[in-house]
Amino acid sequence: MSASTMCTTALSFTRTNGLCLGNYALRLLNRTATYSTALSTNNGKGFPNRGIRGPRRPKRESGAPRTEKMPENQDWTAVYPSAAPFKPSAVPLPVRMGYPVNRGVPAEKKGNLELMKIPNFLHLTPAAIQKHCDALKPFCTEWPAGLDSDAAREEHFPIQVESKEFVSAGSSLRNPKTRVVTLRVKLSSLNLDEHARKKMVKLVGDRYCEETDTLTIVTENCPLRQQNYDYAMYLLTVLYHESWKTEVWEAEKTRADMEEYHWDDSRSQKNVLDTLRRMRVTSEGEEDPGAVREELLGQPEVQEYRESVTRLKNEGETEETMLQYREAVKKLLNV
Amino acid sequence: MAAPIVIVRNVGAVARTVVRTSRALHKVDICGMYDRQAIFSQSWRLQTPATFHTASVFRSAPAITVIDEPDILYQKVEVLVKGHDKTVLDSYEFFATLAAKELGIGLGKVYEPPKHIEKLTVLKSVHIFKKHRVQYEMRTHYRCIELSRVTGSTVQVYLEYIQRNLPEGVAMEVTKTAIEKVPEHIQKPMWDDAPKEEQASQ
Repeated sequence: MSASTMCTTALSFTRTNGLCLGNYALRLLNRTATYSTALSTNNGKGFPNRGIRGPRRPKRESGAPRTEKMPENQDWTAVYPSAAPFKPSAVPLPVRMGYPVNRGVPAEKKGNLELMKIPNFLHLTPAAIQKHCDALKPFCTEWPAGLDSDAAREEHFPIQVESKEFVSAGSSLRNPKTRVVTLRVKLSSLNLDEHARKKMVKLVGDRYCEETDTLTIVTENCPLRQQNYDYAMYLLTVLYHESWKTEVWEAEKTRADMEEYHWDDSRSQKNVLDTLRRMRVTSEGEEDPGAVREELLGQPEVQEYRESVTRLKNEGETEETMLQYREAVKKLLNV
Repeated sequence: MAAPIVIVRNVGAVARTVVRTSRALHKVDICGMYDRQAIFSQSWRLQTPATFHTASVFRSAPAITVIDEPDILYQKVEVLVKGHDKTVLDSYEFFATLAAKELGIGLGKVYEPPKHIEKLTVLKSVHIFKKHRVQYEMRTHYRCIELSRVTGSTVQVYLEYIQRNLPEGVAMEVTKTAIEKVPEHIQKPMWDDAPKEEQASQ
């Protein structure tokens, strides 16, 4: 086009001559260049009425807004059946939104960008929600009546499996936390005897909580949730069956491995027997040691002392346990 | 146009996921009251308001089928929604709680965990001026809705309805706690049934 060539020559002229024209001067140069070619062309559709100098098509009058034709008892679900932006001509509310400029009022709803930007819930009025739920109700099932209480639920369905799901906007649908599966079960609901229970607790370590008697298994090794769930169930099965087994080396369990304190064959018992023997020997002569031991252990004071020491070691030091121990010692030593 | 279009679309999507019954519960005595009906199909109709061009868009509703597979039971389903605008979350909470009530789902706690503000400080200028900075913050508000004691079919229906109507700029995290029976292979130790096998490992 002649206009463009004129522009480029003008520019090159300025550059080669070393003239440094500012932006404004350049723009002026370009404008004068384009004006000289006069005719304006409209190749594509674009804006057909843009730049027309002569008579243009008459603008059509917009009708009255829909709000004026709305009866009071209309069905609002027909106006906003689904999520749609805010249409000021379709919402009959005198709502205003925006910062009050120059100590005025917030801007009116017509052409208000703030009202259009914010998500609206006009399609989710209580009437619409009720209609939707009435349509969805046949697809719902009821909770079984017998499982209303926690105890019943615990008795019949002791295992709890927890997993997460995520809904968010982003470039990726995936969320790595989805594959984590947490399995919780109370050991009291599993068929375990004493030895099996202690072994199970030792096998799982930190995953067992004593206060709530809950075993928690968290699996996230596998890439899919289903796989993690299968792995968790597999772990539970293996733990259960292994804890029922008694290995040969379990006979070497020492006092330090015991979970609870046993008074029999402990240092406390030896000390008590020693003390009582010495108390007796001062009064009597030599006797069969085995029979003496049995006799001493059979005494009610010794039994009481045994109870108090066991309680003290297992339950910890409280007022009650200390008092009980004191009483037992006093009776034992005839103080 | 009409509400019917939306509802049909929603329900059509929901019906594609299967509706399951809970047959396993028949074995338990105390659950004898809970008795699922035999397989039935029900032609389902919408109550359409008197609008004009419904006929051309309304298509025949899918039949509801009941399957033998036992329904998953959920002790608790927690729906946590996150957004930058508290009022949007308020409206969403109203919608979700009303929907739960209408569908007959028992609601547990509905509460607002404290918001989380992430702040960052950047230099105000492109070049130098280290002493002049500008601080931005991103506020994330939360809302938690807990549903207690729901069946798998109901949860699917409710969650799909809730998630389809999730507003722009709001994210959701659903934590489901399913309850299960103790599986058969954990009822008793396998060593009882197979005494010939080596009890102690070498």
